[in-house]
Amino acid sequence: MNSMEERDPDQEEPQTTDPNERIILIHPLAQGMVVIEGATSLESLLRDMGNKYGQPPASKASIEAMPRVEIGEDNKDGECAICLEEWESSAIVRKMTCKHRFHGNCVEKWLKIHGNCPVCRYEMPVDDEELGKKRDGGDEGREWRRTEREIWVSFAFNGNRRNGDSNENPSSDSADFSPSSPSATDYETES
Amino acid sequence: MIDFARVQKELQECSRDVEASGIKVAPKSDNLGRLTGTIPGPVGTPYEGGTFQIDITLPDGYPFEPPKMQFATKVWHPNISSQSGAICLDILKDQWSPALTLKTALLSVQALLSTPEPGDPQDAVVAQQYLRDYQTFVGTARYWTETFAKTSSLGVEEKVQKLVEMGFPEALARSALESVGGDENLALEKLCSG
Ligand SMILES: [Zn+2]
Ligand SMILES: [Zn+2]
Repeated sequence: MNSMEERDPDQEEPQTTDPNERIILIHPLAQGMVVIEGATSLESLLRDMGNKYGQPPASKASIEAMPRVEIGEDNKDGECAICLEEWESSAIVRKMTCKHRFHGNCVEKWLKIHGNCPVCRYEMPVDDEELGKKRDGGDEGREWRRTEREIWVSFAFNGNRRNGDSNENPSSDSADFSPSSPSATDYETES
Repeated sequence: MIDFARVQKELQECSRDVEASGIKVAPKSDNLGRLTGTIPGPVGTPYEGGTFQIDITLPDGYPFEPPKMQFATKVWHPNISSQSGAICLDILKDQWSPALTLKTALLSVQALLSTPEPGDPQDAVVAQQYLRDYQTFVGTARYWTETFAKTSSLGVEEKVQKLVEMGFPEALARSALESVGGDENLALEKLCSG
């Protein structure tokens, strides 16, 4: 990485593609490759990947800890945002930390899939044990995400430097990558 | 199991404010698992004036799983496949919430038409064009809107009249138009073929 940083760009092989404009992700297990051209923000890419599988399920304890509240005459306006049934007074419902209320059945079903509030996305505590189990137990999705992150870091050094240099607006002056231009040197792998 | 009671409520709510939102949702059959959404192209975009149909399939887990949505009308947009109509939109994937509805999801799709995100493309060719030659992109998108998303401005009666003038019996013309959803070209094809 350091040697790349110090190299004069003029001395690079002419067909080498600027890594700032083309990001290649390789999945070592599936031998799959993702080429992202014109990617301008490393951070946004990383953020997107982190969100790829949505919020993990809420912990059992946190679901059980949600208070049960009664719908009273003064607060019976509105509906359960999950089943769209209007509140009936004196019904017992569950109240999340963010104050949003849902039928117990409705919200528990959701929180076991994704641990956030359906209305405001307030995030519930995640069961660490569950997460660990999934990761070690070969949950492919998570494994894949972690691998991508590692590869990503290996590109970040180049990308950041060039970003700082001159490329404030890569979309307006991007080099042309015609299908014929890629060569072996483009396909950097994790090193 | 799809929560059909909720889907029914959604359809009622949606038809109540169709005037304000311009968003329509109608079942394709009577099982409510397959529907068609309709959104007007946003004003001030290359999609303005177009009417876009979206195929909706509800998964068994709806509303705990997102509805599957895909453009049935061809559209030229970085985040929509120009081939299949597949939509790249986070709320239809990992950012779905059961508090969203078919209407709010369609509103998001409509918003996507206004604010393309070429950095997260569904159609790489369109995204490249958007980034490198914006004027050509706008031209192509507008042309596709004109070609694929504009139903004729003629009313039903005028269409029937047109077909009658071509020599088809009125009742036949009317039923042909109905069977193809009002598109006079398709109706003509149908009349000619059988
Ligand atoms: Zn409910
Ligand atoms: Zn909330």
